[in-house]
Amino acid sequence: MSFFSPSSSGKVEPASGEPMVWFSGMWLGIGLLMIVTLLGVIVKNGLTIFWPSRVVEVELVEGSPASIQGAKVLAGEVRKIQEKRIQSETGGTAREKQLFVGNRDAYGFGFRYLDEADIAKLSEPEGIVVAERVEYGDLIGYPVALKLADGEVRADDPGFFDRLKKVVAAGNARRHEIESIEKVQIGRINQRMGSLRLAERKAELEGRLTEDYRTGIAADLAELQRQYEILAGKAANLRAEQKSGLFVYRLPTGTEREIPVGDLMQFYFPNQIGFFTRVGHFFSEVWHFLSREPREANTEGGVFPAIFGTFVMTLLMSVAVVPFGVVAAIYLREYSKQGPLVRAVRIAVNNLAGVPSIVFGVFGLGFFVYFVGGSIDSLFFPERLPTPTYGTGGILWASLTLALMTVPVVIVSTEEALAAVTRGAREASLAAGASKWQTIQRIVLPASVPGIITGLVLAMARGAGEVAPLMLVGVVKLAPTLPLDTVAPFIHLERKFMHLGFHIYDLGFQSPDSEAAKPMVFATTLLLIGLVVTLNAAAILLREKLRRKYASSAF
Amino acid sequence: MKQHPSRKESAASSVASRVPDPRRFEASKRVLLVDAFMNRFIKVGGIGVVVAVIGIFVFIVSQVVPMFQSAKVDLSDTIGLGEVLPEGDYVAIAADEWGERPLALRADGRFFTADLGAGGKVTEIDFQFLDGDTISTVSAMPGSGVITVGTAGGKVHLVDYEYEASFSGGKRSVAETLAKGYTGDFGGPVKRVAFGQSGAARLVAGLAAGAEGDLLTVNLIERKRSLVGSGTWRETASIDLTKSLRPGVPVNSLLVSNRADTLIVVFANGEVDYHFRSGTSTEFELRQTFRPFAELTNPTIASAGFLFGDVSLVFVSPTGENLVYSLFRTEEEPVRIFHPTKDFASLGGKAGAAYFTKSLRNKAFLIGSGKMVSLRHATTEKVRWEGELPFAVRHALIGAKYDSLLFLGDDRRFHRFALDDPHPEVSVRALFGKVWYEGSPEPKYEWQSTGGSDDFEPKLSLIPLIFGTLKGTFYALLFAMPIALFGAIYTSEFLHPWNKVYVKPVMEIMASLPSVVLGFLAALWLAPILEQRVPSILCIVFLLPVASFVIGWLWSRQPQSIRKHVPAGREFLYFLPALLGILVAGWHLGPFLEKVVFTVPDAEGGRVGDFTRWWPAITGTAYEQRNSLVVGFVMGFAVIPIIFTIAEDSLSNVPGSLRSGSLALGASRWQTAWRVVLPTASAGIFSALMIGLGRAVGETMIVVMATGNTPIMDWNIFSGMRTLSANIAVELPEAPHHGTLYRTLFLGAVALFVMTFAVNTVAEVLRQHLRERYKTV
Repeated sequence: MSFFSPSSSGKVEPASGEPMVWFSGMWLGIGLLMIVTLLGVIVKNGLTIFWPSRVVEVELVEGSPASIQGAKVLAGEVRKIQEKRIQSETGGTAREKQLFVGNRDAYGFGFRYLDEADIAKLSEPEGIVVAERVEYGDLIGYPVALKLADGEVRADDPGFFDRLKKVVAAGNARRHEIESIEKVQIGRINQRMGSLRLAERKAELEGRLTEDYRTGIAADLAELQRQYEILAGKAANLRAEQKSGLFVYRLPTGTEREIPVGDLMQFYFPNQIGFFTRVGHFFSEVWHFLSREPREANTEGGVFPAIFGTFVMTLLMSVAVVPFGVVAAIYLREYSKQGPLVRAVRIAVNNLAGVPSIVFGVFGLGFFVYFVGGSIDSLFFPERLPTPTYGTGGILWASLTLALMTVPVVIVSTEEALAAVTRGAREASLAAGASKWQTIQRIVLPASVPGIITGLVLAMARGAGEVAPLMLVGVVKLAPTLPLDTVAPFIHLERKFMHLGFHIYDLGFQSPDSEAAKPMVFATTLLLIGLVVTLNAAAILLREKLRRKYASSAF
Repeated sequence: MKQHPSRKESAASSVASRVPDPRRFEASKRVLLVDAFMNRFIKVGGIGVVVAVIGIFVFIVSQVVPMFQSAKVDLSDTIGLGEVLPEGDYVAIAADEWGERPLALRADGRFFTADLGAGGKVTEIDFQFLDGDTISTVSAMPGSGVITVGTAGGKVHLVDYEYEASFSGGKRSVAETLAKGYTGDFGGPVKRVAFGQSGAARLVAGLAAGAEGDLLTVNLIERKRSLVGSGTWRETASIDLTKSLRPGVPVNSLLVSNRADTLIVVFANGEVDYHFRSGTSTEFELRQTFRPFAELTNPTIASAGFLFGDVSLVFVSPTGENLVYSLFRTEEEPVRIFHPTKDFASLGGKAGAAYFTKSLRNKAFLIGSGKMVSLRHATTEKVRWEGELPFAVRHALIGAKYDSLLFLGDDRRFHRFALDDPHPEVSVRALFGKVWYEGSPEPKYEWQSTGGSDDFEPKLSLIPLIFGTLKGTFYALLFAMPIALFGAIYTSEFLHPWNKVYVKPVMEIMASLPSVVLGFLAALWLAPILEQRVPSILCIVFLLPVASFVIGWLWSRQPQSIRKHVPAGREFLYFLPALLGILVAGWHLGPFLEKVVFTVPDAEGGRVGDFTRWWPAITGTAYEQRNSLVVGFVMGFAVIPIIFTIAEDSLSNVPGSLRSGSLALGASRWQTAWRVVLPTASAGIFSALMIGLGRAVGETMIVVMATGNTPIMDWNIFSGMRTLSANIAVELPEAPHHGTLYRTLFLGAVALFVMTFAVNTVAEVLRQHLRERYKTV
């Protein structure tokens, strides 16, 4: 090896170990590629489900096994093209298409695999319509007619589509009204009836149940029952109205079917609309996904309750984690004598961040749910037993469990920030006559706020993405009510809740039709990743800023 | 707000003269108070938080500890004491589910009951069945609901007893009904009887003294289902087994299993015959003759009985030796026969007139003689409790809920003691050692916490779970280590600073990916792809390192004029296209490789390439879609960024002077990195690996979703596993509060806690040590 500048001699011995540099570079490349691929897969799959893709109509060759109910024609959206293994003597692979054919009520399934060899003709018919329905997923077919109370409108009439649009809009408005009656108004009545019965039971337990009291409650219940019946009657009328008009359509396979107009939520012509309409449709679908409640065992509709649950839980967790984390950090850094004991405590706290989350879940179940919750129930809610109120998983216990899990994160980053405040600043404050607490309150803490926030954001990111402990302490696949609502006391800490992470697990693994659930899982995944990555990126940026501001001593 | 508390003071001082007011050097009372309060508050709060956080461990352990306590029976406190029964010899007892109204059968055929729930008042039950005959032998196995009585007149009677509980005003009262079930003629004075029933079939075995010796008969009684009601019991077959008796060897006892398929004959010389009847057959087949205590000088059997589930037989010798035999089939034998599986501690030389009774909840049984009582559990091979009663025992029963022991003493009184033994099936050996479970041909580690039937024997070995945890961790690290470590070396030592700004945050973002997302992708996206493409993966795994070496070598051979176009530290960017090329090439090479190498015979005698069938055919181990390869790959995602970040940090923090010195002495950049920087940072690298390991050990969602969660024990990369954490996530939501499974799962959590905490502490101490070292360099 030449010791002197290689360029002077022109041709030189190669530097030793240069292939190893490339070798290690390769591993870094693989790592980066993996991340990019993973994010790419999620983004692509998560977004394409909102995009109104074109519908193809396929004419099959004679005797194809892909034929639906013996028909030679079928239509659907191409969801996937893949290689499949041929089970025959030649082996090898063939290409197949996965078609989303919709019309689950008519076919009994939503997807069809189709060998490319079976396709005789492919076309994209203009007139085909895709409609989102309340039940059974999408409808894919040709409109035939509208049978309304004031007569029939054929699809070839010029006013047909305006008319269809109008009745669908009216149906949506009516559905909304029904929902508001059944969920909000009747829900309120049910809630009041429930609390009346509980009051009676409580009085009985406390031994002050008099005949007057009982009759009073009975009268109240009867009044509520009367109100309930009025509302129920109203809802029933609206429901009947929803069924009054009929939309007649022809399946691509040839059969004609009818569906009440009230069951249609929206419709579009996938092969007619232009690019901008498509973009509009895309965004409206995204909005529906974010703002609506799930339907059909969570495989349709939106994920609003899960977003809301994740949000409220993370918020409650933050409220719990910041004071405790900050107090503990101030104690460790400012008050305790720095010695081997505190060092040991610091290592222990640090290492708790590495303890598996499921262990915290186990603790939360044993301590919060069974021990604390069980005690609260027997002290304050004896009238509801044996139905547990706090003695079962709920959003409060979930938040506290996660707070415990993330408190080391906050302690560590707060301590780091406290350590970064210069000795000079502290001494100046003390010299000016400030007390110890005043120094901490006015000098040290304000300077470390960014560090505390970094810790909090990291804690939130970890909390928002964690699922395993939640499965033990209160997350459910479908919560009928939100943890925050307009019924006093507004925050219902004992309620179970939905969570984006658990939603993914549940949809992907507990769903009866996992193929139909897949798009929803990908979309939810994208949402969760977006949330968590944003939080983390914010924390990283904050930290970088901090590092530049105070060149910290520790690494 | 900052200014607010001090404003008053400053205002006051400005009003006063220029002479400093001595008061301005005094802090206001409020400030001092607040200061004192906050100091106290933070100390208390801080210590409180730290203690609470560490208290997690204490709490979890506190939930586990009760599992290891032994059974408690307080002999000084009877929870039910009956009045003295009338004079006479009592031949059998039976009890209700709550142990409140036990009944006793006197030798003259009259039944008495003691109301233990209310003072123990004894009453005679108005029920007669003997018709002037005298009782010669009785059998009353708990749980059958039947007392079987043999008479000197050659009859066998079944007396059905039933208890009914009624509630009034929150108080329970139990009432019994007795009914004559069946009477059969056994052709001579009956010497031994046995009874067993399963669903619609009952077996009644009787040994009667005939004219030319003993007669052994088994009657099959069946209930024909009819459309209305449950139908009546009718004798459908009478099987003569007299031929199987040994002339001159009396029969000690008969046993019939509650599957109504087995008859055990215990002879006075210590031999045991096992007769089996399959399905609905009316023939018995002698399957086995064995002698449990053949090695003892007195090989006779003092008492014998089936355990709950009727798969195991318990034998006690007159000297108190205690063995359990279980039914299972070994490789060589065509049918299931009894083999010795458990050898319990001896009763201590005194069994004499021994008694045996079993629990109807679990595999516990009660043996003893005289005043001596010993409660034992078959699964754990442990004596749960042993004691000396103040009276000699005539009959004993274990409470139906395994919460009490009921005795009829020689004082003719019923005694009922509370039994506190919530976790009999747990012992250190049951959790961590090999256990010989019923029906299994050898002792083994097994986890199966719940089963389909009541008589299921829970198998609670944590070893398969710990093994699964280590397996998952191993494959994850196998995949993650090279990527993370070489990536870290490259990033810290060679990468251009401009790229470093992007590479590090990207890796940190990767650390934030929720594991549920990774698990979902692993199971629903990656696993189906990998299943088709294992050969491609093999190609890529082989091609990539080779190609990178070749490219690196070729590149280093190029003249400077070419090399200068790629600035140092940007190699990986230029390598990326090549990398993609290799990936694509390997991907498409896979199927060819499969066609050539991984072939299995197909239906028409040819060979077809199919790795998923080739692997089981060659290795004999399963290929599962959700396997360790997938888990390792995806768990790698979770582990890589952690190892990468910490390793990169510790490499970057190696003082630059070392690097400069090495380079100045003529070492190449690789030599510097490998021989100078890496050894200096080795403690940091090690701690990075430890922390990565800790993460992999505790990872839950990925494993739950991406494996089949079967608790198997093999290192096969194409099969799944069940880890401690996944096990908790899957089973804890269904585990009853404070039950054995609940506490066992908490023990799993303790194991996880200890494992990760230990690993992380080692890593942390190493890191601190490293930090000290850098200070001195």
